[in-house]
Amino acid sequence: MRITELFEGRRTVILDGGMGTMLQKAGLGPEERPELLALTRPALLEDIHRQYLEAGSRVLYANTFGASRKKLAGTGHGVEEIVTASLEIARRAAQPYGALVALDMGPLGEMLEPAGPLSFEEAYDCFAQMVEAAGDKADLAVIETMTDLYEVKAALLAVKENSSLPVLVSMSFEENGRTFTGCTVQSFAAVASGLGADGVGINCSLGPAEIFPLAKQLCEAAPQGVAVFVKPNAGLPRADGSGYDIDAQGFLQAMLPYRELGLAMVGGCCGTTPDFIRLLSREFGELTPPPRHPKARSILCTPVRVVEVNDVTVVGERINPTGKKRFQQALRDGDMDYLITQAVEQAEAGAKVLDVNVGIPGVDETSLMVRAVKALQSVVDLPLQLDSSNPQVLEAGLRVYNGKPIVNSVNGEQEKLEAILPLCKKYGAAVVGLTLDEKGIPPKAEDRVAIARRILDACLAAGIPKEDVYIDCLTLTASAQQKEVMETLKAVGVCSRELGVHTALGVSNISFGLPCRPYLNTAFLTMAMAQGLDFPILNPNSAEMMAAVAAFRVLTARDEKSEEYIRRYASAPAPAPAAQAAGGVDLAGAVYRGLKAEAGAAAAELLKTQDPMEVVNGVLIPALDKVGDAFEKGTLFLPQLLQSAAAAQKAFDEVKKVLAGQGGGGPVRGTILVATVKGDIHDIGKNIVKVILENYGYRVLDLGRDVPPERIVETARQEGAGLVGLSALMTTTLPSMAETIRQLRAAGLGCKVMVGGAVLTPEYAASIGADYYAKDAKRSADIAKEVFGS
Amino acid sequence: MRLEAPARLDWAEALRYMGSFEEPDESLTARLETCQAKVLAAARPVGWWARFERGQAPAGLLLDTGDIARHLEGCGGFVLLGVSLGAGVDTLLRRLSATDLFEAALCDALASTLAEAVAAQAESAVRLALDKEGLYCTGRYSPGYGDWPLAAQPVLCRMLDAQRRLGVCCSASCLLAPRKSVTALMGVSDHPVQGKLAGCGHCVLNKTCTYRKRGKTCADY
Repeated sequence: MRITELFEGRRTVILDGGMGTMLQKAGLGPEERPELLALTRPALLEDIHRQYLEAGSRVLYANTFGASRKKLAGTGHGVEEIVTASLEIARRAAQPYGALVALDMGPLGEMLEPAGPLSFEEAYDCFAQMVEAAGDKADLAVIETMTDLYEVKAALLAVKENSSLPVLVSMSFEENGRTFTGCTVQSFAAVASGLGADGVGINCSLGPAEIFPLAKQLCEAAPQGVAVFVKPNAGLPRADGSGYDIDAQGFLQAMLPYRELGLAMVGGCCGTTPDFIRLLSREFGELTPPPRHPKARSILCTPVRVVEVNDVTVVGERINPTGKKRFQQALRDGDMDYLITQAVEQAEAGAKVLDVNVGIPGVDETSLMVRAVKALQSVVDLPLQLDSSNPQVLEAGLRVYNGKPIVNSVNGEQEKLEAILPLCKKYGAAVVGLTLDEKGIPPKAEDRVAIARRILDACLAAGIPKEDVYIDCLTLTASAQQKEVMETLKAVGVCSRELGVHTALGVSNISFGLPCRPYLNTAFLTMAMAQGLDFPILNPNSAEMMAAVAAFRVLTARDEKSEEYIRRYASAPAPAPAAQAAGGVDLAGAVYRGLKAEAGAAAAELLKTQDPMEVVNGVLIPALDKVGDAFEKGTLFLPQLLQSAAAAQKAFDEVKKVLAGQGGGGPVRGTILVATVKGDIHDIGKNIVKVILENYGYRVLDLGRDVPPERIVETARQEGAGLVGLSALMTTTLPSMAETIRQLRAAGLGCKVMVGGAVLTPEYAASIGADYYAKDAKRSADIAKEVFGS
Repeated sequence: MRLEAPARLDWAEALRYMGSFEEPDESLTARLETCQAKVLAAARPVGWWARFERGQAPAGLLLDTGDIARHLEGCGGFVLLGVSLGAGVDTLLRRLSATDLFEAALCDALASTLAEAVAAQAESAVRLALDKEGLYCTGRYSPGYGDWPLAAQPVLCRMLDAQRRLGVCCSASCLLAPRKSVTALMGVSDHPVQGKLAGCGHCVLNKTCTYRKRGKTCADY
């Protein structure tokens, strides 16, 4: 069989059935590693392969599902050895039948970031090692039983970048239509096909009857030209663990409706045997699958959320340092929590996509983009718009992005088109094209449309479909180029109607330099939407602009029966002035009582007349001390302590704003580095310590969790940290805490070390050479005072 | 295994996890209500169990010595059990860690009570299934409890096929992800068995435990 037959769609290709099931029948124990059978019982594997071939399988999945270095760890055998041996066995079996042999890659067995400790980059390496080991011994690569879209991406990139093998990918879904990590069928289809998968499918977890509706969705979502396949289980597992609930005949019956879907390949997973495949082969083997008719849709997505751009879709513009001193300071400090707060705020305000720009002079934009993307996607489920003019920054962001993003931006310059479009194609991203070129922004609408046309043609030539192209006709400032405002709107109209592309605009540029900007912004936004603008980039925290969008959707009959509008505004009070320091609560009182909003307002009020450091030293710290003392005495408990800390944090945000406005971080009381040690991912205790220390005015560098000792040493050295706080929750990760302290001492750094965590004792802390044992967050603040002087 | 989240979580237990034995006041009650809604919305409980003969236990499961061996006295088999609240709760906790520390801690504690409630539900289901066969079982016993080392965790997870069945992974340092997941073993016997609890003697917290300071143990709650 030629590899191309898999994708020609002339006949349904029969895949194989369960391997684990056959091995268990042959007596494989629950703790035995099936991959090692390639060395210990090659004849058994070859025999199973042969049984499937005789039943009609045209493609064999070699027994390499768990042959990654992660899963082979501790077995004494390497990836190359097992992959080579398994592929050779499958090849020996396949040869006489002219069948194809696939390198099979399953999940690595460790959870990827952010939920687990495995980094995207390491996951990529693990898969790449398997692909390299396969070399030319496989006819294709298969990535299967995946539940995490991020792992799919790592594996797909590993195949595409290290081989020329065709590649099939299948994920396992639960009955609610999502994988265990929440990934939807549409997100899977969009991301896997965008990254260049030749086939997408569903395997394992459910039987054919339960998978059917999901397979139907997949057939509608997978683009034309991408093969679709299924490998269901033999029904659902029986509650007593004694196997699966349908036999070969029942399996076939449940598979019959699949004939209408246009599947390129079918097979079986857990519980299926050669008997199942034999029946499947009789029914499907001669079947010419009917053509699929997927809809071309404009989609952006994260694993858990699909945003279809078929209506006005608001892009939040706030994650951008331009003109924002507090934001610039956060970027220089690597303070990702600040970006996250901005993201959550915009999501709550109704943004559907978030623009991410981290470019300021003097920072490493590439590594910041990677950190920002990883941080944002760990907490918000909105798709991101990666915003940079630097292709290297864009590629770094595209690589680690988990989903289908949009790139902002390319323009009509040949050089830009050549540098950026191939990246969008490779990573399956949509793209914004600005209507300017080497000669600048043309004043006339028709010239901007001509550039738009050029950009669209270049996209199509690069393999980016029209539905993924968004044209930005560029908002010019009304105060400076008043006559050209209408040209922009005209161009939006033509691009939208004649080119049939989506149109984007950075809306608020229109009012730059004029008073009462929201008036102009909303008027311009409304005019542009009437011309077809459907991808406005704006500040979603602006109630006026969001109201303009909501009103537009009512007036154009998109918001049917005005339901959304009513939901949003029926009970809304008339616009009110910003919150005052309610009921005259002073800052100290607000902190003590844990009133967040009041603390913020009171601090802002106080900062109008007092120096920021006076506010910190004179009000905030005494208030926190009072709370801390009550906590220590046992008259107040952790919940109240945390409420006070959160209120103080709000007040401190106001202080930081003022300090950033004065041009810098201001005086600091000392630098403290905090981290959860390598191997451990529990961070709530460490986060509490961090906030409390910040509230006391220390500069706290949070390295996060699962932090290798080397990174802690290096950062402590570079930043001149006077105190290092290490956290570990598990007995298994205490040795890594000890090792971190050992390395800090060996590096000869003068810093003090405090340790904390549920299983630590003062004795153990002393035994591993820590200077201090912090039994709780309050104690960590006392330690800091001892180290730095109060 | 289908598991249902209860409509209400055990607030007193959540507050105990945070070291507070007080009745919540009005403002804390309001926060508990909000946080409970967030946790319940984010959770998607799943469970799975598998039964084994005693002789099927690989050496790596470390059943032959210590507290766990005593717990299994008289048991010819055992059940491995796993539950998880799913990845959504982890995402919620991460988001709150960056935006609202207090809610993060409260939701973390509430999610722990939910994981415990769901594990108890799964345990009942196992008990019911075994009862139908006229078999008896001990209570739940988890790696890391007493002197049963956490090193048993990856072996337990492999035997349970936890990644495929529950979406749960065990890291090299024996941590489960998603975080709000519980694995456990229950001894199975053809005659009534109690299963010995580990007691405080081998507990790593035996010097710092807040329950012991109050003259009680965690089994009293």
